[in-house]
Amino acid sequence: MAQAAQRLAQRIAARGPQLLSAAVAYSKPRLATFWYYARVELAPPSPAEIPRAIDGMKAMVRSFQSGRLAQLTVREALRNGLVATEVLMWFYIGEIIGKGGLIGYNV
Amino acid sequence: MIPPVQVSPLIKFTRYSALLVGMIYGKKRYDYLKPIAEEERRIEAEEKKKREELERIAKELAEG
Repeated sequence: MAQAAQRLAQRIAARGPQLLSAAVAYSKPRLATFWYYARVELAPPSPAEIPRAIDGMKAMVRSFQSGRLAQLTVREALRNGLVATEVLMWFYIGEIIGKGGLIGYNV
Repeated sequence: MIPPVQVSPLIKFTRYSALLVGMIYGKKRYDYLKPIAEEERRIEAEEKKKREELERIAKELAEG
């Protein structure tokens, strides 16, 4: 038992650097792709964009009042629903950060 | 590579405000729940002490 554990430890020590470099080689191009998109798509709004966001909100309220909601195609409605869900998920990420724990409220 | 999509400012704005609101909500709710849970734990400990005391007395009576 102890011998087996020793052998396992030896093998990990021998293969460790190899595995690590494989992990780095695997994740590096993927992380680069992620960063390429995230830098633009996940960026917080710049101060210049905030008035445009408020304009967008006003336009949304106007279109809601003018009955645009009833004229949406199913595809558009589905897409809007997905976007709304994504924004809701950001709220939950914020809640996780605020409560300082992933699972429940650790009181 | 496909160029990244220009996300509408409205979506960006709502995303980050949702994140912020979530952070504030989580903090507030945590601070609200924390003292309640502490009080419950305190009462639980007190009751446990009382129960053990009663059990001890019952045992003594049964033995003596």
